[in-house]
Amino acid sequence: MAKSHSHPEEKRSRASLAGSRSQGPAGARACFCALGLLVALQGSSEVLLKSPGLASSRMDGQGRLVEDWGALSVMVGSAGASVAPQVTVESIKLDGVVPAAQARSQQGGVALTLTAFRAPTWPAGIDVLTVRLAEAAGQEATVQLSLGLPETTRLGLKTVSLGGRPVVGLPAGVEVSQALREWGSVDDAVALPGWARPAAPCDPAFQNIRAGMGGVPILYRFKVEPKAKVNVVLGFCESYWAQAGQRSLVCQVEGAPPQEIDPVARWGQHQPGALLFAAGDANGDGMLEVAVLPKPDAADQNPILNAIWLFPAETPPNLEQVVAGKLNAAASRYVQVGGPNDQSLAAGGRVEYVLKLPARGAQELTFLVACPGGSVPQPDQTTWTPEKLRQSAAAVWHDWR
Amino acid sequence: MRTSHPCCGCLSRRHCLKIISATAAGLAFSGELFSASAKSRRPDSGFVDPKRLRPCPKVRLEAAILQQPRPYWLGWPGKTYPLDQRQKEYRALLGGSCQRLGIELHEEGQPIETDAEFAAFLKGVGERKPDGVLVILQHMNCWGWANRLASEAGAPLIVFAPIGTSFTGHVAGISRQRGVHVVSSLEWQSVEEGLRMVRAKRMFEETRVLWIQGNNRNETVLDRLGTKVRAIPRNAFNELFDQMPANDEVKDVASAFRKHAKRVVEPTWQDSLNSARTYTTAKRLMTDEQANAISMDCLGMVSAKVLPTPPCGAWTLFQDMGVTCGCEADLFGALSLMLPSYLLDRCGYMNDPVPETVKNLLVAAHCVSGTRIAGFNQKQAPYILRSHSESALGVSVQVLWPVGEAVSLIRFQNPNELIFDTGTVAGNINTPPAGGCRTSVEIKMDNVEDCRDVLGFHQVVTLGNHRRMVEAFCQLYGIKVIHSPEHPTRPKTA
Repeated sequence: MAKSHSHPEEKRSRASLAGSRSQGPAGARACFCALGLLVALQGSSEVLLKSPGLASSRMDGQGRLVEDWGALSVMVGSAGASVAPQVTVESIKLDGVVPAAQARSQQGGVALTLTAFRAPTWPAGIDVLTVRLAEAAGQEATVQLSLGLPETTRLGLKTVSLGGRPVVGLPAGVEVSQALREWGSVDDAVALPGWARPAAPCDPAFQNIRAGMGGVPILYRFKVEPKAKVNVVLGFCESYWAQAGQRSLVCQVEGAPPQEIDPVARWGQHQPGALLFAAGDANGDGMLEVAVLPKPDAADQNPILNAIWLFPAETPPNLEQVVAGKLNAAASRYVQVGGPNDQSLAAGGRVEYVLKLPARGAQELTFLVACPGGSVPQPDQTTWTPEKLRQSAAAVWHDWR
Repeated sequence: MRTSHPCCGCLSRRHCLKIISATAAGLAFSGELFSASAKSRRPDSGFVDPKRLRPCPKVRLEAAILQQPRPYWLGWPGKTYPLDQRQKEYRALLGGSCQRLGIELHEEGQPIETDAEFAAFLKGVGERKPDGVLVILQHMNCWGWANRLASEAGAPLIVFAPIGTSFTGHVAGISRQRGVHVVSSLEWQSVEEGLRMVRAKRMFEETRVLWIQGNNRNETVLDRLGTKVRAIPRNAFNELFDQMPANDEVKDVASAFRKHAKRVVEPTWQDSLNSARTYTTAKRLMTDEQANAISMDCLGMVSAKVLPTPPCGAWTLFQDMGVTCGCEADLFGALSLMLPSYLLDRCGYMNDPVPETVKNLLVAAHCVSGTRIAGFNQKQAPYILRSHSESALGVSVQVLWPVGEAVSLIRFQNPNELIFDTGTVAGNINTPPAGGCRTSVEIKMDNVEDCRDVLGFHQVVTLGNHRRMVEAFCQLYGIKVIHSPEHPTRPKTA
């Protein structure tokens, strides 16, 4: 969903903004020094994002998308930027029929255009936000683009979620650039504290899980010394299925052979168990990756994971003692997955990108944004593309009476 | 080469009309219904031609023959393979299939035999964005191009590899790839089935289903299938029904439906008139809303006593004409009904699954079933007119399914997943002595040890074992197929 040099057909309406473009009281602005400048800080008129019969959301006068879960703002920063740009927000029509909102601003030599419309996806719709950055000064530019989100949002590989609800779908093909914590979950999987009911004495970590709903991998990363060797223990306790053959998992721990596990077949329902991996930072990037995926032919495609321990490589830990919670102190990392000491790899509330714009060039990123009552689809499980979403919106508006 | 458009604007429209006409011609009551309402009597000013309700999308196919530079020498298909003759035959077969299916064909005039020609073809496909691509392989060394198309064409790909152009190693991978359908065979019929899949997908995309329930009015579009879902308030139906007169068309429909029944048990003439009024109401509503299908909260309406009859009888009429009308506002039940209609040109019925634990059979029961279960242009199954079982109101059907015949059970769980199972009709259950629904068919399941373990609810029962075609359709469009477990999955508990 990232591409360069797109010029969508747009029809403008001056109705919502006449009179607002010249406004620019500095007092209404907020400084955003660390990352650059909030592009939209002043009082243009808001524009509703709507689709026939669905609850609307809006782009406010500051160019933010305001949804039932919070607001999403787009900020740009570049070297030398020091003045808050003026933003204009207006109502436009895409393809002559789809109502949309557009915010424009200039940040130094970079023009920022935000275009948003409501796509009528079943059942509740999706807001589609296209961020277009265009270099206008004739010089190659490196630009930091930031999405501002509620602090409680969590950044995953492909989505941003809030309380388990995927609220932003990230563009494919562009990597986020923000600093990451030393360890944590790449937050596409949902934390479910207290989900499991272990029937044997065990570490309290076995009471909680993360679940990769819809086949989403459960993914953790841990900072280690480059090329370091580590013993990794993964803990499981299946409390939904009573019979084997339902939720088979594939565990991939970097530097170790993958292991398949059917927790019920191996240990039984409500029975805690653990697997050991002689792992290591195989690619030498200083991060150890742990992933649990559904086995492709498993009846239940929602993987689960209860606990992770990292131990020094020298001595393989006794798994019975690990399960009993007696070796936590010896572990270099002990994660109650989905539980009290779990954390995200990235700090919440922000998604950042560093983009290079060639002189007179442009780049577009398209984000899918959950609108009232809905959530964004997991990219691996949808056929929606920005193009198809726009076509669907046009088709629905065209025939709506 | 382009096929000519046989009608102004839409090749497929003519074909669709042909289908419906063929259906009508072979279908006793619908045939009389059509002729009576459209010809022998003066049409009512508000007459809605039901033939126009079935979606008739434009379907565009790009096709090419892939070969190696001649003359052939060693290497399959071999020097003795009559290239020109085979290619002429395949072009003729392709043209005929597209004509039958109403597909607009854009065919490369000459076989592609160089990388440059292939690159130009691939580029053209990317620009024209067809609904499907078909390549006919005429040499074993062309698989590299087929593999590139599979990953780069950006459109569903059908690969026809006549025997003599592939080994297992060529086919094993690509034939299991999402977005691809490989026919390694001499059976052209299987290639045509692939084209049917492309057409069926376009029909899903062209369909607007009216979701009649609740109080909301909105429109959304389904992921993957592309079907438009227009929600309208439930009252829209009964309020229109109240205005619908018992006109000549209504009387003809009621009369024909009764006349061709094997028996009429409960329904009175007034019941039949009311049932036919639900038929004309639904036609009018679909037309007004530019819709092609219905999924309605029928039970809720009967429960609220806002209709004197459930729509069961009318829904049977629509199913037989290839127009999907589904029960209980089960949206994915309606989509499940569309699959056999659009892909297999036959109707089925959505059912409530009941385990028969003595004989270990699944009883598939509902008060609506199409009668054209062997195909829209085939003889109808015998049916008995009954009342709707749960309410003792109106007109419903007991369709007698042929014992010993194979059936398929199809259920979209969502746009990304479909449950598919097969079985054999073991019998038809009468009500009474049974309760439940009027069409009540016993099915001996294949590959499901215990009938209690059959997955799903409101699965659509369709005559015939269509496993290969349905699974191929799902692979072509990225739909995951789930089967009921062969062995019991639930433990015995104390």
